[in-house]
Amino acid sequence: MLGSLLSGLSIGSVLLLVALGLMVIYGTMGVINMAHGDLVMLGAYVTVFSQRLLHVPFLLCLPLAFVFTGSLGWLIERLIVRRLYSRLLDTLLATWGIGIILQQVIRLTFGPELQNVSVPVFLTGETRVGGIGMPSYRLAVFLVSVALLLGVVAILHRTDLGMRLRAVSQNPQISACHGIDVNQVRAWTFALGAGLAGAAGVMVSGFNAVRPTMGSSYVVDSFIVVVVGGVSSLAGTVASAALLGGVNSVMAWLTNDVLAKAVLLLLAIAVIRFFPKGLFSAQAR
Amino acid sequence: MLELQNINSFYGNSHILHDVSLRVDPGSFTAVVGRNGMGKTMLLKTIMGLSDRMRGSIALGGKQLAHQPTHLRAKAGIGYVPQGREIISQFTVKENILMGCYARKDGKKQLPDLVLDLFPYLKDNLHRRAGLLSGGQQQQLAIARALAANPTMLLLDEPTEGIQPNIVEQIEQTIIRLNQELGLTILLVEQNILFTRRAAQHFVMMNNGFVAASGTIAQLSDDLIHQYMAV
Repeated sequence: MLGSLLSGLSIGSVLLLVALGLMVIYGTMGVINMAHGDLVMLGAYVTVFSQRLLHVPFLLCLPLAFVFTGSLGWLIERLIVRRLYSRLLDTLLATWGIGIILQQVIRLTFGPELQNVSVPVFLTGETRVGGIGMPSYRLAVFLVSVALLLGVVAILHRTDLGMRLRAVSQNPQISACHGIDVNQVRAWTFALGAGLAGAAGVMVSGFNAVRPTMGSSYVVDSFIVVVVGGVSSLAGTVASAALLGGVNSVMAWLTNDVLAKAVLLLLAIAVIRFFPKGLFSAQAR
Repeated sequence: MLELQNINSFYGNSHILHDVSLRVDPGSFTAVVGRNGMGKTMLLKTIMGLSDRMRGSIALGGKQLAHQPTHLRAKAGIGYVPQGREIISQFTVKENILMGCYARKDGKKQLPDLVLDLFPYLKDNLHRRAGLLSGGQQQQLAIARALAANPTMLLLDEPTEGIQPNIVEQIEQTIIRLNQELGLTILLVEQNILFTRRAAQHFVMMNNGFVAASGTIAQLSDDLIHQYMAV
């Protein structure tokens, strides 16, 4: 049981890792970035590329992927998403299209086959946590997602960009009336969310095969996490990642993986049915 | 100081303002009056660049603002206190005031002494969440936020609407003080004729998106009010 809780924690931390970037973008700008999963995939390919051709150590790929996908996100916002604010369906379609383009570009350059990344030796063994052996890599994923979460909290609440971002997410017009360049803030927010997707991709590449279509499943999972947690609530995203991860692994321990996934979806539907705004909705004034 | 020429402004496809021209001199106090739905709020929004589409010229101290984005108009020296206050309810009082500093020309983030002197309640409650304040306190906060930018002129949209009477008096006194003691140029949208006559030097009467009449406050006769404001 303790073992399955630990594994739940690690599944939850992967969910959190991938959902964080989506939440930053959806929660502050109301844009559902359908290319999010493909940005995760791109982060994984940054790892493949940097390891194979540049011989960069695995953990150094994290900042590399963050900067690469972040810059790409900044470009995507400037060139496409900027023109579509307040048109929800159009942003859905446009970002979905971007995702497909990214997938095809990767397929054409790296080929459709599976890629492997090598994980450093010190992350391959087991670490004993409370008397139970746990794969070190799972522990690393957990630590990285906590570190990224703390980073996002720090950016939102301790930096100038964070303050402008929170102001814009609550009232863009009034923010502009007080001298905040809303377009600039949105571009940086999109870059931040995309960068987080890239960093998540690096960690994912260590335990999952890297292939061009790997992003699709992540965008679904992370979207469920964000919606169950309550849009624009960081605490909600954390709680729902932990909850869904825990339920998933307990069900997988009791029955099997497929049933666990089904229970997870049922749970998400139930939460949305009874708390349409998610577990932790930002309260109205 | 602020000069509008032939402003035509649109909300979606509706043509709201028609050929509005007006001049606000430095240090003056101008009130925009008229019935509800006549375009008063739209006039202020158009000055801030919040209308969907507009034609015409908006000049502040000789600088053309009509094609500038909203945040640069704020930085040019226009402070805006919107209708319904629109403070950021999840921010603390302090964060709301500091937010106004983004429009400061030097970009510094500091709580201006003036603001804290004018509004002792805010000074004592800097760490309260703004959403918990009463309407009147939120209105004071909205004024404080606009003042934090050191603006050269202030646009106020019905600052005493829906506010408890004991605070209405305070807010009116503050607005008069800002104009008379600190020389701030004020453009006020107001329905309350008593306050308008007490505070303003000039008036602009709006009717169906047109300027129906304008002049010094002495020219704001009971006849005009009867003609354009009686319900």
